[in-house]
Amino acid sequence: MSTVTVIDPTMTATREIEFRDALREAMSQEMRRDPRVFLLGEEVAQYNGAYKVSKGMLEEFGPRRIIDTPISESGFAGMAIGAAMMGLRPIVEFMSWSFSLVAADPILNNAPKMLYMSGGQFGCPIVFRGNDGAGGQLGSTHSWCVEGLYSNVPGLKMAIPSCPEDAKGLMTTAIRDDDPVFFLESERMLGMKGHVPEGDYLIPFGQAKVRREGTDCTLVSFGRPVNFCLDAAAELAKEGISCEVLDMRTIRPLDIDSIVRSVRKTNYCVVVDQSWSFGSPGSEVASQVHQHCFDDLDNFVHRVHSADVPTPYAFNLEQEYLPNARRICEAVRSCLYRA
Amino acid sequence: MPTTVTMPRLSDTMEAGTVIKWHVKEGDTVATGDVLADVETDKATMEMQTYDDGVVAKLLIGAGDRVAIGTPIAVIAVDGEDASSAGAAKSAAAAPTTAAAAVATNDEAPVVVTGTVVMPSAHADNGARARISPVARRMAEELGVDINSLRGTGPGGRVIKRDIEAAATRKGSGAVAAPASIMPVVAAPAAAASMPVVAGPGSREVAVSGMRQTIARRLVESKSTIPHYQVSMRFNMDPLLELRKMLNAQLEPQGVKLSVNDFIVRACALAMAQHPYFNASWAGDRIIIHGEVNVGVAVSLPAERGGGLVVAVIRNADQKGLRQISLDTRALAEKARTRGLGPEDMMGATFTISNLGMYGVDNFTAIINPPNSAILACGAAVERPVVRNSQLCVGTELDATLSLDHRVIDGAMAAEYLTTVRHNLENPATLLV
Repeated sequence: MSTVTVIDPTMTATREIEFRDALREAMSQEMRRDPRVFLLGEEVAQYNGAYKVSKGMLEEFGPRRIIDTPISESGFAGMAIGAAMMGLRPIVEFMSWSFSLVAADPILNNAPKMLYMSGGQFGCPIVFRGNDGAGGQLGSTHSWCVEGLYSNVPGLKMAIPSCPEDAKGLMTTAIRDDDPVFFLESERMLGMKGHVPEGDYLIPFGQAKVRREGTDCTLVSFGRPVNFCLDAAAELAKEGISCEVLDMRTIRPLDIDSIVRSVRKTNYCVVVDQSWSFGSPGSEVASQVHQHCFDDLDNFVHRVHSADVPTPYAFNLEQEYLPNARRICEAVRSCLYRA
Repeated sequence: MPTTVTMPRLSDTMEAGTVIKWHVKEGDTVATGDVLADVETDKATMEMQTYDDGVVAKLLIGAGDRVAIGTPIAVIAVDGEDASSAGAAKSAAAAPTTAAAAVATNDEAPVVVTGTVVMPSAHADNGARARISPVARRMAEELGVDINSLRGTGPGGRVIKRDIEAAATRKGSGAVAAPASIMPVVAAPAAAASMPVVAGPGSREVAVSGMRQTIARRLVESKSTIPHYQVSMRFNMDPLLELRKMLNAQLEPQGVKLSVNDFIVRACALAMAQHPYFNASWAGDRIIIHGEVNVGVAVSLPAERGGGLVVAVIRNADQKGLRQISLDTRALAEKARTRGLGPEDMMGATFTISNLGMYGVDNFTAIINPPNSAILACGAAVERPVVRNSQLCVGTELDATLSLDHRVIDGAMAAEYLTTVRHNLENPATLLV
């Protein structure tokens, strides 16, 4: 086995690769390291993946470990769960998390409960991964943000990276984790480039990263909207408002300690979450902040979510539907009584 | 439920009030609008009315007692109601009998709103819960800020973090360690806070009126927080005195007599149009330029009314002619010296003039009347040997000294303003149109 290092925040990589390459590097490095790891899903093998995440993997690892499946999410997800229970470490690619809804019974009703229901006899070390959220004019049935629905279930873990470096480190941790990990990517970010270290490294779950330091308002987000937050923070800086942007990286487990530390400093908190507002990770974060920071808040926790409607198809409506930088700026000003 | 009547805020600088006389006694039936008591504020004695119908169940303080605004002073029960259920209100009042214990710190937000008599504060009347954000409440405790005297700038008057920070800054260095040098406590008047005064043989003590306390507090606050500086100019008054003599002769049948001060008020007010920063207030992080030109005139009060001084306000002075300015000033001065001015006569000055010319003073400097940015101190118009057109002759001149808030007005601006005032005074026909 190769040496494993927990990523050092000061570690710098000079090499720039795309988000999809970072995911592939993590999967390939783990497959070289551990023969139990394999990948299955629609078009992952011969087509190199619908979004080219698994490009070249069939060539390296062969058809026994890179497996094309029929369009049957419930079937192949259930099969993979059985393989995990028997000791393998499957990675299941959903072309889109929207399509995982037909596999809700195996992924929600079986995988996260297996360890509990079998009294510890069977675990379920599996990674479900795929594109989450609005991909860009895909319409309402193909634009699901599943974190609101799925993070509600005890027994699973959920990682939502916002940049290539985190994508690789979190994927490595996900594959080695002994519990089912729901790994949410974004079609809009697969082409994003970033500095990514070459070796294998682990980013521990439940450790938020401060993506931008600030003093006036804490912005809490995860996944793609972290980038909206960084845009908003740059805009607000011109108005003299200094935002601290926290990237949660995983929402189960949730690093509430880092949020509390920041909110105690700023006294204001805005949560940005691209899922719908009702019963969402954002509402859970707000609730916990109110619980832990009650005497530190100068205003209630403000939240920016996708609009409470099915995702629109029209480009302009879809842009407005998302928790974009302009809506974040408005929420921060309102929270700071500067609207 | 019985209604608890609290000491109302009857002027924008009021922190505490004294019940001079109760007009009702326990058991009396009262109706909305009835006068409950005469209340002495820092500047005036006013009637306090009830806003509820019912029976006076309890008077919680006696005549002569001085309490902070918001303190319960009476309980009114509706007919048939058990007045004893007001017991909680009574015990909460803890009717302080010494002024020192009763007077609260004033940390009111910078006054930019004028014209209302009763200001909403963080505490609604009747002991309702204060609207304040959690962190503001915590900071207020840590910094020793009295939230009851604050007006919140958040939604619905909610007191928020910036209000506490502003109040703490006003207290001085924002720390608990600043023991309210501007706090109007009778036992330790602001003006003497830094040096203990020992009463020696033959000395006597004079009770300090509410007005005297207000003067002490506001002027210490002004002199210690505003970066004052002075700019003086001497005006040739000969043309003006000649014009005044002619006008007064012609106006005599109408009972109008213009004073030199009336001309100065008009000259200053007209100059505001060209120099708006003289009609402005420093508001912490910005400057507010006022929409109205309201010139305050310092009026001293006779000893039989307790002495002291008040600032009577000539509203929209830039839009009034000399005749109206004269009539307004006389009416206000007369009212101040006989019945006393009401809050509406004293609120909202945006610039102040203090004139000691009638006492033969040559020149002096004045302390800015917050939240003004400038005050003009005028001496007497006196005959002096002067040089005019290279000739030594006798002329009448007046020395005026501006005191300025350097945060708002720089020296060159002050010079320009005085030049405009001089032009107005030395070409007095311009003041007629």
